[in-house]
Amino acid sequence: MTPSFTLLRRYVGRLPQRTSLLKNAKGNGFLYRTRSLHTSAVSRHSGIDRPAPGTGIKVHFKDSKGNLLKTVEANEGDDILAIAHEYDIDLEGACEGSVACSTCHVILPPEYYDLLPEPEDDENDMLDMAFGLTDTSRLGCQVKLTRELDGLTATLPSATRNMFVDGKKASH
Amino acid sequence: MAAMAPLKLAIIGGGPSAFYVASRLFKLLPHSNASPLRVHVFDRLWSPHGLVRYGVAPDHPEVKNCTHKFDETARDSRFRFFGNVNIGDGVNPIRHALQLPLSSIFKNYSHVLFATGCTLPVLHAELPPSEYCIPALSLVHWYTQHPNAPKPPPLHKISHVSIIGNGNVSLDVARMLLTNVSELSKYDVPSPVLDVLSKSAVKHVSIIGRRGPLEAAFTMKELREMTSLPEASMVPLDPSLLAHSPSLLTRQQSRVLQLLEKGSKNAPGSTEKTWSLDFFRSPTGLALPPRSSSHSRPPAHLSLSHTTLNPHTHRAVPTGKSSTFPTDLVVTSLGFHAEPSSTFYDPSLAHLRTISGRIVTSEGTTLRNVYASGWAATGAKGVLASTMMNAYDIARTVVDDWMGGDEDEDIPDQEEVLNDDLALDLEKLPEEVEMAIGKAQVMQYGDWKKVDDVEVKRGGKEGKERERMKWEEARTFLKHAL
Repeated sequence: MTPSFTLLRRYVGRLPQRTSLLKNAKGNGFLYRTRSLHTSAVSRHSGIDRPAPGTGIKVHFKDSKGNLLKTVEANEGDDILAIAHEYDIDLEGACEGSVACSTCHVILPPEYYDLLPEPEDDENDMLDMAFGLTDTSRLGCQVKLTRELDGLTATLPSATRNMFVDGKKASH
Repeated sequence: MAAMAPLKLAIIGGGPSAFYVASRLFKLLPHSNASPLRVHVFDRLWSPHGLVRYGVAPDHPEVKNCTHKFDETARDSRFRFFGNVNIGDGVNPIRHALQLPLSSIFKNYSHVLFATGCTLPVLHAELPPSEYCIPALSLVHWYTQHPNAPKPPPLHKISHVSIIGNGNVSLDVARMLLTNVSELSKYDVPSPVLDVLSKSAVKHVSIIGRRGPLEAAFTMKELREMTSLPEASMVPLDPSLLAHSPSLLTRQQSRVLQLLEKGSKNAPGSTEKTWSLDFFRSPTGLALPPRSSSHSRPPAHLSLSHTTLNPHTHRAVPTGKSSTFPTDLVVTSLGFHAEPSSTFYDPSLAHLRTISGRIVTSEGTTLRNVYASGWAATGAKGVLASTMMNAYDIARTVVDDWMGGDEDEDIPDQEEVLNDDLALDLEKLPEEVEMAIGKAQVMQYGDWKKVDDVEVKRGGKEGKERERMKWEEARTFLKHAL
């Protein structure tokens, strides 16, 4: 049986759409264990504010092939996952920033990666399971903007399509 | 025009895969008045979200945040959910669920997706289920109050537990058994379960794997939680197990070894409760004690063959040595498979037979517009992120096929089993479902949200995440709505 190679060429999510996950996260969003060092896991769900044009910190989002998706502006303290949601970038946050999944995995340029504090153990634990892990991978929810990160490029990881071919995990 | 043909999809199974497929379909085909897309999800359980409700460990509430997205998907007017409806011609394990043959679905829908998961435990040939040996899934169903309603384990008579298999389900079970009830009572653990746990006599949990730490299926988060248990300590490992050349290890493997070397936060011997990772051991039998009439429960004896890794095949092979020790309960945690009586089940795969997400019959025929996603299609492996990505793949395949297919893709002969009437009524339900709704037998998403709300509220009164309902109680919400 020949697996369909067209699948290899496709990748998830080219169509823009407003994901209102962050807006809808109120109510039964139980988070007993906020992280000891990052205590904003709950407040993050209220979403973020866009800065006045020209005043914010610039972030470029690129797809896995290096095509620029969007350049946006955000404020100090905003994290990459929240920024992506605010600007309709197709980055998932299944656990809503509570470091319990790897869906908001992004790849950073080495020079920006080095500016960030080291990932905590729990973030590393999740990165272990991320697809297309690199040496400069981070969880988007854990990358908080500072002024010195201005001009940061967040690249979405390589296409994960066709991970499963006919029920067997593709070996790579 | 081909693009205006109906895309009226029945999804069988209402777990994460179903919701992620639905959400991606809604994204790929944005809403318009003339949208020919409908997604009807059927689940044999009365409540939605599958393993997120009946699988995720209670002390991992943050994993359940994905239900916010599922709620959002369910708010799309093209979406409907029908709980307590078992579809298929196989076994129906849920006594109160409405049984509907596949033919009813084929008649009423233009597309079908099987997102039926892997719902049965893989058993160990040498360890038949008994009073002394149960699958981990039974414990998971017990502590999540699954409608299967397995018997609670007699924890007050159990001090030594042996778990066979060292994946994350094993560690979930071990954590539940080694964590103080006062900690667990904050979470979504049903009160009757907390009662049993509060009387637990469990002192040691042995987690047995036939291969070594490098091959273990657990992941770092779960292992770290074990080493951080406040009331238990880990029996130190033989250092020879941890000696490996770092250059040959993956990132995760080296991190696992580092953590195992460090051991638990509580020093060995400093706690009443202990746990151990027993690598290179493969069960060969469980000798049950003679039936005793008294209230005492003498231990069974578990025999293990000692194994080593064949360096070429990476399989466990016996060394010839063996050992036997007393244990009060053996829990097998060796993975899951799909329901063998389900249509399109492939015994050699232990899940449904698909090519690129499209269902294939045992004769090798591809069925037009019939798909499978999630564990039903891939087998039981991977975390929520992999289920999500698989679902997005399948959603794309469904839409591409519907748009007229990919010219480059050679799809072999396809058999038509669904309703290909271009004038198919998009809103019509199988009449059995329509009738059952009138008899308060079917839980729809709006009903579920009411139940969900009450579960959370009454849990909140007791300082816990939620207090679950059973079907009989949840059903009163349907009766009131009639």
